[in-house]
Amino acid sequence: MLFSYNWLKDYVKSLPAPDKLAVSLTMHFAEVEDIKKLAGDFVFDIDIRPNRAADCFSHLGIAREIAAIANLTLKMPSVKVPFLGAVKTTDLVEVIVQDKPACSRYTAKAVTDVKVGPSPKWLQDRLKACGMRPINNIVDAANYVMLETGQPLHAFDAEKLQGKKIIVRPAKKTEEIVTLDGDKFSLDPTILVIADEKKPVAIAGIKGGKDTEIDKQTKTIIIESANFNPLAIRRASKKINLRTDASVRFEHGLDPNLAEFALNRAASLMQKIAKGKAAKDMIDIYSQKVSPVQINLDLNYLNGLLGINIAKTRAAQILKKLGFKIIKQTKKYLLVEAPTSRSDVSLPEDLIEEIGRIVGYEQIPAVFPAASLIPAKRNDGLFWEDMVKDILKAVGFTEVYNYSFIADKDAGELVELQNPLSAEQKYLRPSLIPGLLTNAKKNAANFSSIKIFEIGKIFKKDKDIKEQKQLTALMTGTDFYQLKGIVDLLLEKLGISSVWYDDYQPTPEESKLELWHPQKRAEIKTDDGEIGFLGEILPIKAVVFDINFDKLVESVSGEHEYRPISKFPAVVRDLAILVPRKIKVEEVLNKINTAGGAIIRDVDLFDIYEGEEVPDDKKNLAFHIIYQSEEKTLTSAEVDLVQQKVIKALEKDPSWEVRK
Amino acid sequence: MTDLKKIKKEAEKEIGSAKDLKELQDVFNQYLGKRGELTQILRSLKDMPKRERIMFGKDANDVKNALTIAFDEKSAGLKAGEARAAEEKEWIDVTAPGKKIAVGHLHPLTLAKRKTMEIFQSMGFAVAEGPDIETEWYNFDALNIPKDHPARDVWDTFYLKDGPLLRTHTSPVQIRYMEKNNPPLRIIAPGTVYRHESTDSSHEFQLYQVEGLMVDKDISVANLKAVVGEFFRRFFEKEVDFRLRPDFFPFVEPGFDISITCLVCGGKGCSVCKETGWLEVAGAGMVHPNVFKAAGLSPEWQGWAFGFGLERLAMLKYRINDIRLFRSSDLRFLNQF
Repeated sequence: MLFSYNWLKDYVKSLPAPDKLAVSLTMHFAEVEDIKKLAGDFVFDIDIRPNRAADCFSHLGIAREIAAIANLTLKMPSVKVPFLGAVKTTDLVEVIVQDKPACSRYTAKAVTDVKVGPSPKWLQDRLKACGMRPINNIVDAANYVMLETGQPLHAFDAEKLQGKKIIVRPAKKTEEIVTLDGDKFSLDPTILVIADEKKPVAIAGIKGGKDTEIDKQTKTIIIESANFNPLAIRRASKKINLRTDASVRFEHGLDPNLAEFALNRAASLMQKIAKGKAAKDMIDIYSQKVSPVQINLDLNYLNGLLGINIAKTRAAQILKKLGFKIIKQTKKYLLVEAPTSRSDVSLPEDLIEEIGRIVGYEQIPAVFPAASLIPAKRNDGLFWEDMVKDILKAVGFTEVYNYSFIADKDAGELVELQNPLSAEQKYLRPSLIPGLLTNAKKNAANFSSIKIFEIGKIFKKDKDIKEQKQLTALMTGTDFYQLKGIVDLLLEKLGISSVWYDDYQPTPEESKLELWHPQKRAEIKTDDGEIGFLGEILPIKAVVFDINFDKLVESVSGEHEYRPISKFPAVVRDLAILVPRKIKVEEVLNKINTAGGAIIRDVDLFDIYEGEEVPDDKKNLAFHIIYQSEEKTLTSAEVDLVQQKVIKALEKDPSWEVRK
Repeated sequence: MTDLKKIKKEAEKEIGSAKDLKELQDVFNQYLGKRGELTQILRSLKDMPKRERIMFGKDANDVKNALTIAFDEKSAGLKAGEARAAEEKEWIDVTAPGKKIAVGHLHPLTLAKRKTMEIFQSMGFAVAEGPDIETEWYNFDALNIPKDHPARDVWDTFYLKDGPLLRTHTSPVQIRYMEKNNPPLRIIAPGTVYRHESTDSSHEFQLYQVEGLMVDKDISVANLKAVVGEFFRRFFEKEVDFRLRPDFFPFVEPGFDISITCLVCGGKGCSVCKETGWLEVAGAGMVHPNVFKAAGLSPEWQGWAFGFGLERLAMLKYRINDIRLFRSSDLRFLNQF
């Protein structure tokens, strides 16, 4: 919000220089985002936070802050000017507030004999500095007082009010209004209006209507200074999609006690700059009186919460400068009354903030808390997440972070956004695979082979919306078995000893993202059931593993046991066998291990061959079988005996043939 | 006699001038070989008269010993020289590049998150997490941000069909944690947050945030300053000046904005800090009594909370100039970490 430096000078004598003032405001009140130099003035752009809108969307509010921060005197503008009007407001208009909850106070004052024309240059300059366009002396005076006090005002041409009536009521279903800007709005009963006897003449708290506009012929005006319910104004403003300087102020909730001061201020200004004669009386319909609240401030709590010692006198002085009253003081307490303009202050903590920020947070020392030395509990999920990342990094994978959103492509039951940023981000991702595929395609121009992974949330919609952590990796320029080796390594390092792979079995609740190769795909299983998939994907030549990370964490053990190294030498024998193509290596391995028993230390498949010299429906598997005993040196004869046993077992099936 | 002297002199000269082991062997053979000159002289000793034999024999043996030593020394020298020459051939260019093993890379946000977690864990903070999809209650109401209040406008929110929303901050984790754990407590909560806003080099609609919360009977702003200061020092690995200034977040009172000295210009003012010398990195404050109430805690507790954007800190630490790079998945970017 924009503020004029010259204007602030009216209320604070010996105002600090602009640069210094900006730093003071930033450190003790709100950030000065910009200072713009104008001819003979500076414009401050201050980021007033929503809690201070009620009192500080105004030059007087800012001036009060400056006075408190710099310990200067605040000079309020006087409204004790003699009003010159001979007629009474009540003779010119009748105000009826029908919707009292929506309008807690309505004040009005008549000004007669006005000469409508341009306002004086000093006033025009101030409006312009604050980003407002001067219109005429009446409208400008109303706007000026709004910028000064924060209270929005409106001026009606009294002669244009049908039936000499101002009625505050909900709009009727079919009513319309043309505003001062010439825009037409259809109204409905959720929108509060100011109406005369016949029709709406203003959208309450938002914008005035064209029909009662001040023009060059206007002689008599009615100034409105009212207080409207913030929620009512906010909803109406959203509904008709019109935000104005007035609506923004009402939305934040204004002090009803401000209405009268602003009304008198505007009337006196109109007497001065438009030669008007303001009525001595005013209409005041004040249905819900707001009284100041009292707060008991415990000085020990003040110092304990801030971590600094502030003397009682200093605390009291700061509060007084900010417009608070000290009702009672004891050794340990201050009983404080907050002005009604400070609706944001109702708790001791609110007072502590006031005192703390004026003293300055830079005055507070840094002191480590005297807390007990309880070591932090480990977060297992994050611990294993880090471990997985380190393993994948060590084997050459690079970590990516993708967005949680996807476009409507091959979508099954997805979680849909109500207000997506674009069609490309309409749903929450049900899988990390599409993101990794896009990454692989995008990087293909710069890298011949790609190894990437992501650990992130995916979102599914069953009966409820579910989110789950997923681990997915993609690798190009290689095959199924290479990636399978990586999955094995990963699970082994996580201490998951029992892992096996099954042919993929489609299930009905399977995601409809059919990216997988129908044959080159396996289910990864542990004792806790299926934890994910591994396989080739079709859209690009790549292999992918996709693991439910939450399930993975349930399976990890972190156990790792050392197996003693045998003192006796190992003997290696090779074995090549021709088996039907669809016989699984696992089956062959099982037979070897069962037949060989404990002296087979390890069986290592070193070749799978299909093609020339091998019949079409067969494949050749070649193994190193490592024999080793923990108790003695094996003789050649002993090993041969077992090897023969193994061969015999394998050749039980006539379609299996051990090559000799 | 003269013969011996002459032989010694000539042999020594020839030993000295031998260029390699083969030449040296030839010289050896010439004097000390089977038919070598000195060998023959020594052999002829037996024919000499005893007296002469003793005299001459001693001199001849002295020459032989001297020459043997000279041969050995020369031989050792030549051998070392030849070994050196052989080594010379194996010279390599040590400035040529090494062969790299292809390891992968962790995302800079993971690195920044790890560093953050490590620092806070060493100060006794546990790490908590919460869901990305949140309810209005946890994201707003419980945090003292009432419905239909302009304060809520500060958070541009993504809503899902049928009600829930994507959390706009990690602060809901405060409530979720306090519902299940009694103070005293110290946690940080890292996680993804979402803001419904358009992007540019410093704005993103999906961000990584870290929330901090410390609650006990006597926790103060002074404690917040100490912990946050320690974090900055250790995160940036240098002294970092920081300041608290008033700000407003409905779930804290008093509320602060935390800024650090601009790391690019050192506080003199530059384009990164918009000439202010300061960079806003976090929001913080003392937990609002209404938040304790919403989480079911009694008013005897007090404490502070903070939240900062991890992208912002990572950008400052690694001098990354565009926030959109983090989720670009461009390996030319990621491979640098």
